[in-house]
Amino acid sequence: MTMAEMAGALKAEILVEGEGCHKAIRYVVASDLMSDVLLVDEEDMLLLTSLASDQVLRTAQIIGAVGVIVVNGKPLPSSMVEVAMQLRMTLATSKLSKYDACIAVHGALGARV
Amino acid sequence: MSAAVPSPVLLEPKSVTGTGAGNDPLVLLELIQRLKVRDVMTTKLATVSRSATMREVQELMRQKKISGVPVEEDGRFFGLVSIDDIIRALGGGYIGDPCSKHMTTKLVVLEDDMPISFALRYFDRYHYGRFPVLNRDRRLVGILCQRDINRALLVELSTELNRLEAATGRHLAQDGVSNLYLLREFPICKYDFENAGKAANEIKHLLQERQIPPKIIRRIAVAAYELEINLCVHSDGGVLSWQISNGRAVIIARDAGPGIEDVEWACRDGTSTANEWIRSLGFGAGMGLANVKRVSDEFEVTSKKGSGTTVRAVVIVEGLA
Repeated sequence: MTMAEMAGALKAEILVEGEGCHKAIRYVVASDLMSDVLLVDEEDMLLLTSLASDQVLRTAQIIGAVGVIVVNGKPLPSSMVEVAMQLRMTLATSKLSKYDACIAVHGALGARV
Repeated sequence: MSAAVPSPVLLEPKSVTGTGAGNDPLVLLELIQRLKVRDVMTTKLATVSRSATMREVQELMRQKKISGVPVEEDGRFFGLVSIDDIIRALGGGYIGDPCSKHMTTKLVVLEDDMPISFALRYFDRYHYGRFPVLNRDRRLVGILCQRDINRALLVELSTELNRLEAATGRHLAQDGVSNLYLLREFPICKYDFENAGKAANEIKHLLQERQIPPKIIRRIAVAAYELEINLCVHSDGGVLSWQISNGRAVIIARDAGPGIEDVEWACRDGTSTANEWIRSLGFGAGMGLANVKRVSDEFEVTSKKGSGTTVRAVVIVEGLA
């Protein structure tokens, strides 16, 4: 399942279509602690977070994530879109809570299996 | 006025050994001719309409920490309110008037497709702090300060330096990673979250260009990123340096204070002195140094309360090229 397809499953709006938008997601992490995210040693990861800050994108870039979905309908600082464009990182926002987003991810991935 | 970081305009590839190599003193002259005003100007503008009062403009200046506010409506440019205009309004007792009555309307403007060499001459000739920038349709599209030009030139020169390093690195890489030698230093400021992570990203890109295995790059990038964030969050500012030579990537974070009282405690998972604000940004969970240790082949912290801290992390690269 690609980041674009997952965004659809989470009713998320894609704000920046980066390089990983149509790449297959191999792992999903939901966290607001960036050091926890850095601990996960997986490739092509999707990051779900309710943290709306530029550092989320820089963290995603460091670990080579395919994209970031900010949940809880958090308003994003305008700088976040700029940073996503600079880093060519896919950025989307969903109104689902993190809990509901995780359920939707499970449902979407389950449906693919 | 928020500072817009101009998109770097990449230089055309040149031969490192042939004529026109990047160390040519003409590089700067070439840059100021090639770069256009639109490449370097600030495009995110804090503007007001003609009906805004001088007091509202004053408040906008205070909030945005700017010294001039363009007056425009739907892109049509009417004038500029400068800090001098505000001072005169305060002295003259008309701070509550609409800005259209007191704004400066006799202005020198730049066009967005002018080369910055032209803009530099204007700064020299008129001694203004900023120039409004109009497009061909006479619409306001930006503001140009000398700071914008300085920043753009630094970005361009850095790009040129990276290009030279990459070219040099490619030559060195022919003999394998063990002979590759790079050394970089990045000053990190306290609480500068806007820039935190940029150094680690740059390191990652440089390593990717040299085709070092992704898993190794990730370990180096994670170590650099955590140390960069640590400098930003916990120190009074410092320097992140890294070098890769003889099959070893060495990352060093060095600061001048405030120092760590108990290094062993600080390296444990989940221990942190970060405040709530830092935690709200996604850091300060006490995993930083532990993460660096986890991804490093060698790890060392030397610190003393009241003086500086030096963290040294080594990732072995040799034999994996």
